[in-house]
Amino acid sequence: MAEILVFSRNRWTSVEQMDDRTFRATCRVQDTLREAWVEILVKAPDLEIVQVKGEIRRSPEEKERDVTDDLQKLTGSRVGPGIKKIIRGLLGHSAHAEQVATLVDECCNGVILSFTKDVLVHAPKDRAGEREFFAGMVRANPRLYNSCAALSADSPLMEGLELDKDND
Amino acid sequence: MLKFTRNKLASVYRKDGKTLSVHGVLEDDIYGLEVDLDLDFSRMEILAIRGKWNRMENSQCPRAIPFLQEAVGFRLEEDFVRKVQKIVGRKACRHFADLILECCEAARDAAAIIQREGDKEKEAGLTVAHLFGKAKDVPKAERPEKDGEPDNRVAGGVVIDLHVHSFPASPCSSISLRELIEEAKEIGLDGICLTDHNHWWEPRKVEDLRQKHGFLILRGNEITTDQGDILVFGLEEDIKGIITLAELRKKALAANGFMIAAHPFRGFLTFGIGYLGLTVEKAMERPLFKLVDAVEVLNGKVAERENSFAAKVAQGLRLPVTGGSDAHGAGEVGLYATRFPGPIQNERDLIEALKKGGYSPVVFRNRCPD
Repeated sequence: MAEILVFSRNRWTSVEQMDDRTFRATCRVQDTLREAWVEILVKAPDLEIVQVKGEIRRSPEEKERDVTDDLQKLTGSRVGPGIKKIIRGLLGHSAHAEQVATLVDECCNGVILSFTKDVLVHAPKDRAGEREFFAGMVRANPRLYNSCAALSADSPLMEGLELDKDND
Repeated sequence: MLKFTRNKLASVYRKDGKTLSVHGVLEDDIYGLEVDLDLDFSRMEILAIRGKWNRMENSQCPRAIPFLQEAVGFRLEEDFVRKVQKIVGRKACRHFADLILECCEAARDAAAIIQREGDKEKEAGLTVAHLFGKAKDVPKAERPEKDGEPDNRVAGGVVIDLHVHSFPASPCSSISLRELIEEAKEIGLDGICLTDHNHWWEPRKVEDLRQKHGFLILRGNEITTDQGDILVFGLEEDIKGIITLAELRKKALAANGFMIAAHPFRGFLTFGIGYLGLTVEKAMERPLFKLVDAVEVLNGKVAERENSFAAKVAQGLRLPVTGGSDAHGAGEVGLYATRFPGPIQNERDLIEALKKGGYSPVVFRNRCPD
């Protein structure tokens, strides 16, 4: 029996550094049912969204739609933890809003991961160095502790880790 | 020049009359991973899952693979997204969780296509409404283990944890009200303030809890705004969804309430101040700080330096400062709290005390990973 695809989706996200303070993130989706894109312009140091535009070119719900006006609600929001909830809350929950919100999510995630990459390029390859590196990362950002299997309490990377207590 | 790229591919075919097979690939600058899923077509239930890393962040990432099996049996309904994020995302890896969700969304679309094309083999019970319908998240309760904590009571005044979340009022929390209250009493807090996300507590219900437990339980709310999360006290309104900070300010002022910027720099220093060039002076200019009455500078869910940065900003702006655990699970309540100089017996007292000043954030119990 031929194993013909019923459905296929490609989602592509990219982040471009425009200048010292400006990042442009773009996400495009193309699948059997829909085609759309969103682009956000983010300014450091607040990672504030200063410009957003997008378009739904094809979808089961509607044929073509410039969603740039709808996306303006996001201007002024900051890319960081909690942004997913803010995006959903500001854009609403209609079918097209969900579709656009997912693209904005991907753009924001891409911006954050681009900074993560900047840090990870410094990770040592040897075990001892690696442990020291990731333990340091978790010590600096305690919410990463137990956030995944690699940083779980019983992971060798977390062996002997004590999170800072002094805060006052 | 591109600084980062991520590609995700999900493709679906019918393996047999009952099964959809989905292949997913995620490839970006940091990670390379693949999953293969089998889903029962009629029940939209994950039957099997296989995953593999091609490239990863560190040597321990392969530890994630066995935990992918936790998704077997999940159905694409109700709290599916939350379950995948919470269980697969935390126990295994959030990038695998992300790819599984992408694959399952693709499977849902594929099923809709099959349905729409009038496939003769469609199973009973699978309707278009079911396929595209949005089910409300109704997560199941979890009962985390309790762990013993030392009594680190801060001397003088009353100490109240101004920021706690209970389940099910906050779906992201895993601690029930009863457990939260018992733990708060056990460690010696004088009171807690329920600040569940966009959840308004009925006064009578909280008064019943106070009576039942003989403990000070106050009502607040953590509201998500376009400028981040705000702890609000004294607002008798059930605000759902996102509200602008300006609008929330109007409501709080009208209600004679009090607003605290919750964890204002959560995540913003993850990559180091140097990477973003965020300075205290620059941060002080944020519009957020013009519309709040105080700043939370000890929050149990953020990095020490994010708390410390918030404290510097608040100091620069001469804004009052508070502490709260932001507890979402056992062993977290009272991690940080706020010490008030005088007695507080009810919400009116709390708001008056907040407006009067003279309080300070405190470390109330040890902050240890285990």
